[in-house]
Amino acid sequence: MNNKVKKRLYFFLVSIITALIIGKFIFDSLKVNSVYFFSPTDLKNTTEIPNGVIRIGGMVKVESLKKKGNQYSFIVTDFKNEILVNYSGIKPNLFEEGQGAVVEGKLNTRTNFVATKILAKHDENYMPKEVADALKKTGNWKKNYGK
Amino acid sequence: MASSLANIILILSIFFSFLSNLFFFKKKIKLSIHTFNWSSILTITSFLLLIFYFSSSNFSISAVYENSHTLKPFFYKLSGTWGNHEGSLLLFILIVGLYGTLFSLFYDKNITFKSWVIFFQNNIYLIFLIFLIVKSNPFDLIIPTPEEGLGLNPILQDPLLVFHPPFLYLGYVGFSLTLSLVLAALVTKQLDSTWAKISWPWVMSSWVFLTIGITLGSIWAYYELGWGGYWFWDPVENASLMPWLAGTALIHSLLVLKIKNKMQNWTALLAILTFSLSLLGTFLVRSGILNSVHAFANDPDRGIFILVIIFLITTISLLIHTFYSSHTTNYKISFFSKENFLNINNLFLLFFLFIILLGTTYPIILSALNESISIGPDYYNTILAPFIFIFLIAMSIGPILKWSQSVRLKDTYFFLIVFFIALLFSFLIIIFSKRNELILYLGLASSLVLILTILFEVSKIRYKIHFINLSRVFSHLGVGIFILSVFLNSYFSKTKDFEIQIGEIKKFDNVSLNLTNQNILKINNYLEMRTDFEIIENNKLFTLNPSIRRYFQPDQITSETSIKPTLLSNHYLVINFPDLNSKIIGARYYYNFFIHGIWFGLVLIIFGGILSVFKKRV
Repeated sequence: MNNKVKKRLYFFLVSIITALIIGKFIFDSLKVNSVYFFSPTDLKNTTEIPNGVIRIGGMVKVESLKKKGNQYSFIVTDFKNEILVNYSGIKPNLFEEGQGAVVEGKLNTRTNFVATKILAKHDENYMPKEVADALKKTGNWKKNYGK
Repeated sequence: MASSLANIILILSIFFSFLSNLFFFKKKIKLSIHTFNWSSILTITSFLLLIFYFSSSNFSISAVYENSHTLKPFFYKLSGTWGNHEGSLLLFILIVGLYGTLFSLFYDKNITFKSWVIFFQNNIYLIFLIFLIVKSNPFDLIIPTPEEGLGLNPILQDPLLVFHPPFLYLGYVGFSLTLSLVLAALVTKQLDSTWAKISWPWVMSSWVFLTIGITLGSIWAYYELGWGGYWFWDPVENASLMPWLAGTALIHSLLVLKIKNKMQNWTALLAILTFSLSLLGTFLVRSGILNSVHAFANDPDRGIFILVIIFLITTISLLIHTFYSSHTTNYKISFFSKENFLNINNLFLLFFLFIILLGTTYPIILSALNESISIGPDYYNTILAPFIFIFLIAMSIGPILKWSQSVRLKDTYFFLIVFFIALLFSFLIIIFSKRNELILYLGLASSLVLILTILFEVSKIRYKIHFINLSRVFSHLGVGIFILSVFLNSYFSKTKDFEIQIGEIKKFDNVSLNLTNQNILKINNYLEMRTDFEIIENNKLFTLNPSIRRYFQPDQITSETSIKPTLLSNHYLVINFPDLNSKIIGARYYYNFFIHGIWFGLVLIIFGGILSVFKKRV
């Protein structure tokens, strides 16, 4: 092999290796920072309880919201299964009983969720897409939601 | 009546646009340009009509009915015109036409080239005009005419948001003219440095408008959403950042083309990429595929229509590019030359773009497989940070290098001195703040290297002023200050949630907050509960008045933040809707460190851009 070919080969190898390392770095980071969404029914059906940060969503069950100082607890339901959510912090303005909601946090047990964030909505008509899909799956979607 | 008048104007506008194409193919070049301009004027007229209908609350027009209300302040009746899908699309088309018309007025050197530019611009314009008429006509009639409108989302009723969409569009859509300029140059084989000089002010002004639009949106999010931050890596924000990154790469390669007549094909590709990403942004925002304050349309057909348009425009442009692009010779350039560092700049910007594109579209792709995920902000922060450091260093070295030649010894010494001072300075900040964190250290050091290189350069420590490029100096200095402030802000800001009632005092570190009063006011189209907080920081007293508003139409509750800027920081307070039968108010307090620096940096970047638009010198 002459020098020129050798030089090119080295350059090629180094680029491939760098690209692979950066690619691995990107995809690892993508995986670590992916927050999966579950409906209460999804959670019931999973064989393995997810242990990282996840989002769950559904309707906030009427008359389930309880408040003690800065501590809130409420039930999120897709009208088939439900899950108890505990949250401490500021309650967003548009978070109400009987409305769709998405919360982010970790599962304590299969039916108890500790939320660190209630995702804010932008207006009163807004229905989170995930919630809409989850309700459609259980057949409890009403046309007037999100319209 | 109102509806049919507007529709006739729109149909005439389409007719003239068709006619323009016809004349172009019949080689009647002047007529083709004239008819295009007539069409453009008609679209402007229809938009003025829409503004008139909004301001006079004409609810027989669907867009007005759905987005306006008689109780709304006049100013927001006006801005309601573009605060919805249909109206904003009409604005989009108007701007495509306006750029074409302005170009035809200001340029008259080479008539063949001009007619090709107008031809391409006209077809981008026409395709969207058809989309408007078929799928999103703002002038659809409602029978019978409703008594009252549905109102505009209150968080959009904000003076900054009146200007945010038009500026953003002037940017996004301005890149349509860039694309037309590139395609016309490819077809007429004039993609060279003369072409780059003609295109420069058009490309730069689009870039400036886009930067202003993004900045306005960011400032709005900061004080209106009440989340204490200015950027959330929300897919919709990313949608505007992607064309900005591509556009930034484009202006740097255009610079090489302008001065050294190199990188023709690459510049053309970047122009195609930039406008495609602008369209992708429009698609992501308008299709309803993402949930956000921007998602007006929930009609999936519209999404598909926009996707088809993106596909058409991008494919045709790329075909023209492959078919007409000329073979360029390989240039031998030294690693430490200006050209090479501009290449590096392009590589980095496109890498950032790729990361953001991946993070934004990955959840959408997965949702097709019935998996619902979202990507957290840490994805962007952890991946981008290490590359930002290298990028900033390259950005400091690049401009002080010479074209084509290799580095000189005295530049090396100069740079090492600056490097050493920056490292020392950030080390001192780390020591004094007791925040021993590597990322913070690297962030401070690299942005200081950039700032100091520019400052030294300007103060002529080693250089004579003969060739200082002021627009570059301002915008690069802006980037340095921006990144420095971002790091300071994210590491030294504080936030605290608390509950409080009248007379109570809360203390955090050296700040005490005291709720002294709360009262309810009735204002025009909302009820407001105002609170008075007395804040004491280091024996200085000031008041903050965060409030809660209940809008009547639509019935919606919003929190209004209250912000007190001090020399180095912002005190930022937002309250929550209290429970009806308790006097306790939930509140969140943010101590936002060095946020001014972020805005100041952005203003410098914009200022540099504006200077560059008007720069006559090569």
